[in-house]
Parts: sequence; C-alpha cells; structure tokens
Amino acid sequence: MAMKVVALAGNPNVGKTTIFNALTGLRQHVGNWPGVTVEKKEGVLEYNGQKFLVVDLPGTYSLTAHSIDELVARDFLLKGSADVVVNVVDATALMRNLFLTMEILEMGLNNVIIALSKVDLAEKHGIEINVKRMEEVLGVPVVPVNGKEGVGLEELKEKIYEMANGVLHERPVVPKYDPEVEREIEHITGVLQGTPLAEKYSLRWLAIKLLQRDDSVIKLVLRHLGSEKLDEIMGHIAEVEERYKRAMDLIIASQKYEFIDNLMHRFVRYTKEEGESFSDQLDSVLTHPVYGLIALFGVFYLVFKFVFVFGLPLQELLDNAFSSFGEWLAPHIANEALRGLIVDGIIAGVGSVLSFFPLVFLLFLALSVLEDVGYMARAAVVMEKIMRKFGLPGKSFIPLVLAFGCNVPAVMATRTLDDERDRLVTMLVNPLIPCSARLSVISFLAAAFFAGHQALTAVSIYATAVLMALLVAWLLSRFVIKGEESPFIIELPEYLIPSWKTVTLHSWERSKEFIKKAGTIILLGSMAIWYLSSYPVQMGTGGSYAERLGMFFEPYMRLMGLDWKAAVSLLFGIIAKENVISTYGIIYGSEEAIVGAMTPLQAYVLAMVTTLYVPCIATIGAIRAESNWKWAAFTVVYMIALASIVGIIVWNVGSALGY
Amino acid sequence: MIVPLNSLRPGERGIVVNILGGPTARQRLVGMGLTPGATIQIIESHSYGPIIISVGGVRFAIGRGMASKVMVRKL
Repeated sequence: MAMKVVALAGNPNVGKTTIFNALTGLRQHVGNWPGVTVEKKEGVLEYNGQKFLVVDLPGTYSLTAHSIDELVARDFLLKGSADVVVNVVDATALMRNLFLTMEILEMGLNNVIIALSKVDLAEKHGIEINVKRMEEVLGVPVVPVNGKEGVGLEELKEKIYEMANGVLHERPVVPKYDPEVEREIEHITGVLQGTPLAEKYSLRWLAIKLLQRDDSVIKLVLRHLGSEKLDEIMGHIAEVEERYKRAMDLIIASQKYEFIDNLMHRFVRYTKEEGESFSDQLDSVLTHPVYGLIALFGVFYLVFKFVFVFGLPLQELLDNAFSSFGEWLAPHIANEALRGLIVDGIIAGVGSVLSFFPLVFLLFLALSVLEDVGYMARAAVVMEKIMRKFGLPGKSFIPLVLAFGCNVPAVMATRTLDDERDRLVTMLVNPLIPCSARLSVISFLAAAFFAGHQALTAVSIYATAVLMALLVAWLLSRFVIKGEESPFIIELPEYLIPSWKTVTLHSWERSKEFIKKAGTIILLGSMAIWYLSSYPVQMGTGGSYAERLGMFFEPYMRLMGLDWKAAVSLLFGIIAKENVISTYGIIYGSEEAIVGAMTPLQAYVLAMVTTLYVPCIATIGAIRAESNWKWAAFTVVYMIALASIVGIIVWNVGSALGY
Repeated sequence: MIVPLNSLRPGERGIVVNILGGPTARQRLVGMGLTPGATIQIIESHSYGPIIISVGGVRFAIGRGMASKVMVRKL
C-alpha cells in the first residue's frame, strides 16, 4: 500500500521547518519540485506502525498565482495529492496566518489540521487563544505545538493518523463575502455548473479566483467555457469594481480579513495593550541606516573570525590526514600508473578539496544561526538602500555572503529572491565573490611573497573582487537584464533563540553539496589532471600534455606578465581553485619552490586572476541548473574577459611603478 | 486625510484604503496583511532606507517606493 501523504502548509517564519524536523527526524530527502527550482523537502513519519510521507510545501502568505512558491503549494493542494494537510499557524500573527488557512479551506478541502505554533510567545504578548472555541469556530482540529520542546507532537501525530484513516471528520468554515460579491460568485458558479470543471474543482473556489483575475484559473476556464462566456463574466467583475472603486482582488482580500476578524473575536482575547517590545528596541539599532550598518559589519566580522579560528586548524588537520594516508597507501600499490592515479591524483585532489569542509560547514552553521535568530531579515533591510545602487535588492546580500564559503550553495540560495531578474543578476555575479578555496590560494601567495603585509594583500584582492561583483551587477541590471525594480517588503520576525536541531540540519543540507562535489566532479577532475600531467611524459620536463597546453596559451598570459605554468595552473584551477597552487607544486616539485620562480608582482597578478577568472566546474553546473546553459556560458565568458582586463592593468601599472 | 504610507511619521497610524500598482505587488502586500481596512503603525522611519511598520502585531520593513503606493487614512 502506498504511503499516505501529509502536506505541511504555512506562512514563512512560523516554525514550519521545526515541526517538519520534529515529525520526520533525520529521515529526510531534499529535491526539487518538478520543472521548477523550488526546494521540495520530504520525510517519513512513523506512527502506530503506519508510515506517512510528509511533504513540506514552500512557505507562502497566500495561494495566488503570482509566485512560483505559491503556485507549487497551490497545485499540490488543488490536485488532492495530500491525504492530510497540516496548516501551521503562528499564534502571534493569527490574522495574517488565518488568511492562508481560509484560502486553503476555500479550495473545498476537508482534511485540514491546524498546528498552532508560538503559543507561549503569544501569551507573553497578551494574546489568549481558547483552543476549544477555535476548533468549534473554524470547524477543524487545532493542536498547539512547540516543535522545539516537543510539546503537542504526540497529539498532532495522533490527529494525523486518525484523519488519514477516516476516523476524524471536520466541518470547516468557509469565508463569506458581502451580498454583492456573493451574488457574483453565485452567478459564476451557475455558469460553470455542468462543465467538466465541476468534477475536479470546487466551483466556489474557481469563481473566487476568477473574481481575483487569477491568470492560471482564467486560462483553465477559457478552455472549458470559451472566450464569449468568459468575457461576459469579466464584464460583470468590472462593473462591481466600478461601484467599489477598487480592484476586485483587494475587495475580496479585505472582506476575507473582515470575516477572519469576526471569527477571531469568538476565540481570542487580548489582555495587554501592545507596547514596544524587546524586538523593537533591538530593531531601532539593528535596522538603523547608520548603527545598523556598523552592527552588520561587527556581526559578519565575528562570523568570519569564528569560522577561521575553529575551521583553519581543522582544515590543516584534515589536509595532513589525507597526505599521511596517501604516503601510507603508496607502498601498497605495486602498479606505478595506478599508484600515481590513486595517490597523486585522487587522494591529493579530492583530499585538498575535502579538507575545506570544516570551513564551509562552520560558515553555514553561523549563517543558519543568524537566519534562525531572525537577523538575516534585518541585514537585508540595512543593505537594501546600498545594494539598490548597484541594481540588487537587499535580500541578495545573503547569497552573496554565503559565497565567501562556497559558491555552489550560494548560487542555490538565490532561490530566496522572489524576483526572477534579481535572482539572475545575483546568481551571475556570485562567482566573483572569493570562496574559501580561493582564500587558500590568496593566503598561500600572500604568505609566500608578501610576508608582513599578508592581511593587506589579501584584503586588497577581496576588495577588488567585491567591487567587481557590484560593478558587474550594476552593468547587468542596467544594460543586460533590464526590468522594473522589484518591490521591497520583508517580514521582520521576532528575535528567537534558534533550535539547534534545525540549525545543524540546515547547515548540513547546504554543506552536503560540497562533499557531493568532491565525490563527483573533483574526483573526475583530479583524475584528468593527473593524466594530463603524467602523459606522455611526467610533468616538469616540458613534454606533458598539460605543459603543451600551457605553452599554447603562453602568448596570452604574457600580456599580464605570467607564463605557461600559470596557464596550466589556471586551467586546472577550473576544476577546483585550490589546484592553482598544487599544480605549481607539481611543476616545481614542491609548493615552496614557487617563491624563487616569480616576482611579488607576478604573484599578486596570479592571485588576482585566480580570484576573478572563471567559476569552478561545480559552480558553473549550479548556475546551469538554476538558470540555463546560456547564462552559465555567459558567466564564464564575462569572467575571463574581466580577469584578463584586471590582470593586464595590474601588471602594467605595477611594472610602470617599478615593482 | 488620505495620504501615501511613506508620508507618515514614526508613531503615527493609518487605515489602508487602497493599494495602487500592479497586481503582483498588490497581492504580495495583501498576503502579508496590508489590505484595505488594516491599521498600520509606523515604528521607524529615517531619512532614507526602508520604513519599519507594524500590521496586526507583525513587523515589516517596506521600501519607500512600495510604501508610496499604499494609500492610508491618517488616524
């Protein structure tokens, strides 16, 4: 027997993920909804010996057709794919949350359970909810749940079990509108009666969506009714709008809120006047245009400090462990070619990438904490005005910060931007932000050539890269991906102490990509590097394929003061940026030998070009997956051009100044 | 007096009477509870940057451009 399906629906920031984690534990799977890049999370819940497939729908405020997230959630519910719908409702923002509840109930669903979250917080604000009355008024089961402390979970599971097995029935309330609007609804349902639509959908729902001029419903009805009848309906709607002097979707929405308000009077009591909360006081500093910016720099300084203080020793430890493992393994493999492939190719290549895992994980851990605490929304507010100057929204700040860890999850994180154009621009400039792999190249060269001025060297390269990212964003949004500025509105959730389970799971999910990449693309790449540098003769003699390839590019490299060795290194760096240094190591026999072979200016150019030139293969793949081949290719081309220009300028200016 | 939301000062309140602008932006505001009839209070508003507002006990930051499309009756 197929598993019964439980769908989790709710607004963003209501604790849906915490409840999802509490229901499913570690048995989760993250993928994509078919055809769109919206994350689909599934997990398995076991109760009373029965297994349920729990599907986490995207967090949305309503179910219109105006964003992919909403369409995905709506189609899932509309198709009747769920045996039970758990609607997570935030007790501190009942009115707004019940708006979504009403939209769900309006679809004609009668298998809804409300999981009421943040009840303790609501009580602190003086919001008293009579759960028993709420159940009666709404006609659906209501279970107060605190996912973090596990309160109410058993009862929720019990209710899910009963509803899935037909034991529990409900008589849900459905919003009622003004007589004039109701007459329109009745008229439209009358017209739709008798069409095949009547078997598949709630006609009342279709009528209301038509009134709201919902694009996808208009198309659906057009197919069954023809344009003549549809035009007549739309004509009616325009008349009503004329009388109300407002757009129909606004009329429906405000009457729905009124309806909810009347319901709420019957089960909610307010015992306190709303005053300035602790969150507000914190916000008056953290969202302030000046103090907020200072706080932002402070917070991210601490994040990077945390990541490097704890991450770098771990990285070294892992790096040593991999090379010791290689040394230990080498004598055990008799075949020379095979030994080279495994020890110098796979273990050295994959190991050098994997050793960065602690840094990536810790960065995502810190950022997940900031997200769960509620700080990220504030960061977006502070950055909004500044980012707009470069054609980006404040929210794009988050994926760009993630990029300092690894560009792959950062590119995926652009999904949080609801405007397609913002998302594309953020994605395309993302690879310009130096990831931790490029940090390893920058810090190696800085230490080798600029002892005493390492920090300054590194900072100058980082600053150039960030500046370039902003410049390219500005150019792209101005000349290439033109469009209207997306409207800015973001919820500022109350500051919360994060749930450690949610935070660690989330960081693991994001950093997992990094390990996956090490096991696939880096593995293949390391083998390719090893082959190109070992055949037909060993690298270092000038006769290997890799060196011949490098010499082919040498005339071009000379424009920025670099030679064929740099060309080979940069070529291999496309697979993983760390390879730039390790390739030099192979050519010279040891990484330290690089010092005598270059001038500081050449080293600086190399570091700069490594930072800017091409996204690594995994990032190119991520951009392709999130947009298409065209944009991935575009990114590669513009970055090569940009890196060449910057490289040539730095080399020529540096030489002219006598460095 | 009916004025755009961005003209209110911190502490002032208004009731939404209409939302101008395209359906996408309008629907986003509506879903978040900014609908005709809702009371909005300005929490923070500086000379530049988004405005912090309170609607139904929830805080939002709204860009000045978008706020100028929300028409309110000043209370």
